[in-house]
Formats: sequence, C-alpha cells, structure tokens
Amino acid sequence: MAGNKPRVGSFSRNFTAASNTISQIPGLKHGPNGTMFLSSGILDLDKILGGGFTLGSLVMVMEDPEAPHHMLLIRNFMSQGLVHNQPLLYASPAKDPRGFLGTLPSPMFSKDEKSRDRDAEQEKGLRIAWQYKKYFEEQNSEFQRDEKSEYCNDFDLRKPLERHFYSGQQIDCIRLEDSADLTTFHDRCSSFLSQTPRNDRNITCPGRIAIQSLGAPQCDFADKECDMLSFVRSLKNTIRSSNAVAVITFPPSLFSPSFSKRLQHLADTLVSVKAIPDEDKELAKLLTGYQDMVGLLSVHKVARINTQVPTILEATTFSMKLQKRRSLILECLNQAPIDGSSGSSYASSGSCTGSSKTGALDF
Amino acid sequence: MAERICRALRDGALEGEHAPALTIKDSNESPFGSLLFNHVLSQLSSFIVAQKSQSQGIVLVALSRGPLYYEQLFKSKGNNIASSNKWIKVLDCCTDPLGWRSKLMESGRIASLTPGTSTRANLYKNVKDLNKLLLAIVELGKELVEDGKGRFAVAIDSVSEMLRHASISSVAGLLSNLRSHSQVSCLFWLLHSDIHETKAIAALEYISSIQASSDPITRPINGQRANSEKLPFLEQNLRGGKIHIRFKRRNGRVRLMSEEFCIEQSGIKFTPISSEAEMIAQSLVPKVQFNLELSEKERNDRAKVVLPFEHQGNGKTIQIYDGRKSPNEDRAEIQYTSAEKVQTVTDSGRGEIIYFRDSDDEMPDSDEDPDDDLDI
Repeated sequence: MAGNKPRVGSFSRNFTAASNTISQIPGLKHGPNGTMFLSSGILDLDKILGGGFTLGSLVMVMEDPEAPHHMLLIRNFMSQGLVHNQPLLYASPAKDPRGFLGTLPSPMFSKDEKSRDRDAEQEKGLRIAWQYKKYFEEQNSEFQRDEKSEYCNDFDLRKPLERHFYSGQQIDCIRLEDSADLTTFHDRCSSFLSQTPRNDRNITCPGRIAIQSLGAPQCDFADKECDMLSFVRSLKNTIRSSNAVAVITFPPSLFSPSFSKRLQHLADTLVSVKAIPDEDKELAKLLTGYQDMVGLLSVHKVARINTQVPTILEATTFSMKLQKRRSLILECLNQAPIDGSSGSSYASSGSCTGSSKTGALDF
Repeated sequence: MAERICRALRDGALEGEHAPALTIKDSNESPFGSLLFNHVLSQLSSFIVAQKSQSQGIVLVALSRGPLYYEQLFKSKGNNIASSNKWIKVLDCCTDPLGWRSKLMESGRIASLTPGTSTRANLYKNVKDLNKLLLAIVELGKELVEDGKGRFAVAIDSVSEMLRHASISSVAGLLSNLRSHSQVSCLFWLLHSDIHETKAIAALEYISSIQASSDPITRPINGQRANSEKLPFLEQNLRGGKIHIRFKRRNGRVRLMSEEFCIEQSGIKFTPISSEAEMIAQSLVPKVQFNLELSEKERNDRAKVVLPFEHQGNGKTIQIYDGRKSPNEDRAEIQYTSAEKVQTVTDSGRGEIIYFRDSDDEMPDSDEDPDDDLDI
C-alpha cells in the first residue's frame, strides 16, 4: 500500500546553504516538491496529511453546529505555534478573543506519559519474522529527538499553556465584530503576513493565522457572502507568497449551499468535523470504540502545491477520541467489513500511526 | 426528559463557559411553544424560589405577552407574588415597544396608560435598538442579584417578535453576548419556526445549546385526504404533541430525546414515547457492501431447514433412507435427484437448501474431447 509516504523519485532537490537553516528552525520540515510543512499540533493529523500543513496554504475546517470540535483543532494549532515561537494572529467573533488564549493546551513533555508508549505495548505480543525487523529501525530513530525541538508536540488538553510561552510573543487577537465589512480585518492580516515574506535568501520564522467561525451569525458581514468570498480569496493570494499558514473555520450550515461550495473550493486543505449522537445503540454496534469517541473528522482535500498529482487517502473519515481525556487522537473507523474507500479492515483498533507503520508489512 | 432541560437550566453555567441556552420551537401544526415556555418558566422559578438553582432571579423580556399575563400565570401556579420582586423582573416590551404610545401621550392625544398595566414591570420603549435592550436586561439582572457575583437567568418571551424589529445578526449578537456574560446563568427563548427563513432558524440553533421542538403526534399524508378525514388528526394534534430535544453536550456529542406531552387544565403532562427511536446511525458511517445480518424471515427459514444428517439431535429415532419408500412414511417423500443437486422438498414447515454447483453453468462441449489437451 502506498500509505501516506510521499513518492520519492530518483531526483532529489539540491538544497542551498540557506535551507540548511531550516533544520535549525523548529517547527519546519521539508516536504515534497519544494514545499515546507508546518505542524498542525495534532500528531495523527500531520500523518494523515502527509507531514502537516503546507506553508503558504489555506486550511479550512467545516464546523458542525452541534459540536465544538473545530475548537480542538484551532487550539492545538495555536498552541503548536506558541511552543515554536511563531507569530500568531487569532480572530474570533467573541467579545474577548484574548480570553480564548487561556484555554490553549500545554505540551506534554515527560516521556512516560507520551502516547507513543501505546504503540510499543502493542508490539510486545507480536513476533516479527527476522527480515522485517529492519523496518522497525526507522521508527525507533524518531524517538531519539530532543523533545524541545520536536516538530509536533502532543498536547494535554486539560492543562493550560504555561505563561512563559506567551511572553515575548507576537500574538494579535482580533474581534471579527469590529470589522463591519472585513476591510479592516483584511488590512490587519496583510500587515501580519508582510512580516513573514517568502524569499530564498533567509527564512524567517513562519507565521500562523487562526480565524474561528468566520461568518458566525453575530457578525454584521455574515449575510454579505460576496464580501466574505473576496476576503478569503485575497487572503489566500497573500498567503501563497508568504511563509504562513491560515486556518479558517466556518459554519456551512448557516450559509447558502453555493456559497459554502465556493468556500470549499477556495481551500487548499479541507477538513470537516461532525458530531455524533450520544448513547446511540446502533452506532455502538457498528463501530468499535464508540464509547471514547467524541466526533468524526473527514479529510476532503489535501493541499498539493507545485504538483499536479493529487493525494488519495486510504481513508477519509476518522474518529476523534480523547485519550485519557487529555490528548486528541484520530483513528480510522473500525467497522467490519468495508468497501474500499473507507476505514481499515484489519479490525485492530490501532491508530493511523499504527497503520502506516505496518504498511511495510502488508503481504 | 423535559425535566432534564429544566435541570440543565437550573444548574446553569460552569465557570468560564457559556451559559446554556434553550430554544423552544413550535410550528403551526403543533402550536404549543408558549405552553412549553410557561412550563419551563414556572419550573425554573420554583427552583429559584426554593434556592436550588445557580441563578438567583429571572429577567423576563416580555415581547409578545404582557406582564399581567405572567402575574396571573404565577398566581395560578401558586407562586407567591408578593415576594416576586426579589426573584423576577419583567422587562415590558409588549405595551409600548416602539415608544409610540408615550409619544401620543406627550402630545396629549391619549389620556393615560390603560388601566391594568402592571406597575411592577419596567417599561421598555425601544425594541429596535438591541444594544440598549442588552444593557436594560443586564441592569435589571444586576438589581436582582445584590452582590456583583450572583447570576440571573434570562427568559425571552418571543424571539420571533424581536426578529420583527431587528435583523438576525443583531439578535444573534444579543443572544451570544448574553450567553457569554459572566453573570448570566442560563437563557431560554421561544421561536415560531414557520414565520422565519431557514437561515434565521439555523443561526439561532447555532447559538443555542439545547433545542426543544414541538411536533404534531401524527402528520396526515398530504394531498388527497378530504377535510373530514383530517379532523381526527387535527383533534389529536391539538390535544398534545411530541417534543424532540437535542442536547449539545460538553464532550461534543449530541443527545437526542423524545417525549409525548398532552395539554391538561393544569398545564402540560409529559409521557415517554411509545414507539421506537429512529435510526440515525446509518447516515453517519460510510456504507457497507456486505450485509451480514439476517432478517427475521431469513432466520426462521434457516432454523427450519432439516440438515441432511442422520442424527438431527431432537430425540427422534434415526431414519436412514435407503431408497425405498417405507409404509410408515406419510409425509412428502424425500427425493434425491441427480448427483449434482442436493435438495430437500419443502413441507409447510421445512426449510430448503438449494445448492447450485458452479460447474453446472458450463455447457459440456459435445464435440471436444477434453483429453485432447493432454500432451504426454
């Protein structure tokens, strides 16, 4: 199976001296076709997307009006940026967006609490034929990285982010209500993005923009669909030529279907979250692990910049679970049996990290 | 189930989170929204009077029914009105919502306020300006709670009335500001769903955390029914209905509940629903190609098949068929036809195994000798 590993051809990019500094900037990673990746803050989501959010791309999250899961995605995204000292711009329709910063999760640093341990436990009962042991060597080398400069941290959703991450940081918080027709907001975004321009000579620290609930009903521009569309389009253009990633969540249930479709087409990476009913016996029978699930996440589009080859994912719908109520994990849906486009059939409730690892072992 | 709503409102908001917000929806087919609203209001007020709830008082924004109506409502429920100043404040937006009456009075056209207006209520004259309305609500609420930390509940008699005067974005702004206000414990409002656009209803559902909608018990099939046939349905629908509740829980799951209710002299009575819940699961999970489940009929048929073994395990003597009909056989004969097909003849109670070999599909080639391919 192709899994989520990018295709590596026989050509390799000749990296210039300047790009050697990239390996020293935490939070950036080289991707295929000359792109760079930024972590989303969720380990499993990075793996699903093939490395993370592509620098210069626009990520859109379709909300479900009945569940706050998009907040989980935004929180992890913002926390990851703060941990890596990346400038952040946050906008929300709330009266006090700064208050949201207090709900950001803290990274888990201690090794014995790492979620990776669950993978190690699964392997103990497995006897691997000798010639496959060489594939496991690759995985072990990942653990030896220093935790401080990790590309993607595991976040503990119950612990708030420590104070020292906020100090000395450039964090802009904007109220969406203040901007009646989005022009002032657009200017703020442009000035933020001009601080992280893209050029080959020196790579500055990448920036992050998080816009929560664009088009929420309390904003004045909520019924001005053309204004919102042109804002998103110009933001996308500006982001393409800068070293930043923007994550926008919007509620498609409040928009007309054509507007919602247009927004979906504008996105480079498109993800949607969905609520699940509580104490539903039918679902409990259909899905294993229903008790721990809080929602469903679907990946509709993955950003492909500088290439024409699309990413075809093995599975597009994942269940969101809070492991020990702390960290967010995404797992393939497990139901027996499947048709080709959804879920993994091999009945083990391993996470997607597990499935991409055993890709080498598929017979 | 309806008590769960009242309990959720009673428990109120957790520290640092938005207050729970309930939308009570009704429609022309099942017009019991105001009765449900009264029920929730009286339940909450009894919790408040008994000091069991997080909120210390209610601010009632009366847009469609005047304060006198509510005084009578509380009187009929037995709540003590004399002390009601301590736990309820009514913002009267019904008598003079746009300030026309006071303008007429100033210019001398009408003599005085109509008799019977409650002097306890606070008159509000500018329903179009929702910012001022928000301030008025908060001010009244602060009067109810003496210290700065107490919380109060807000009940809005009809958001449909508000939407007549103001745009959906300003109403949504008002409601979300109330939800995020640190002193508001819970919030509930009434909405008539037929008179608004779907966008407006979707926006209000987006803001609320609990939705209770009143539906008719039975819906007559549209079209060809004569009016006389519709009468029993109408009667039934006017006596009661079903209430469907959607609870947005903190962990992100949605709790769905249904109950039936009937209208009685004293109020509303809730009874659990008799029919089975609908299946929602199928639409969420991707479709599965293989059907591994057996339907009831299939299960019964499977149980009825007599397996072609000698010993059937049910205590009867073993009867081995030896090709001859024995005189004891009264039942239908068991036929063994050709070697390719194994088939048992069905009785009325017996199942059947029908087996078709794949090789039956091949037509034997009469002119080809299959041994011609051998090359030894």
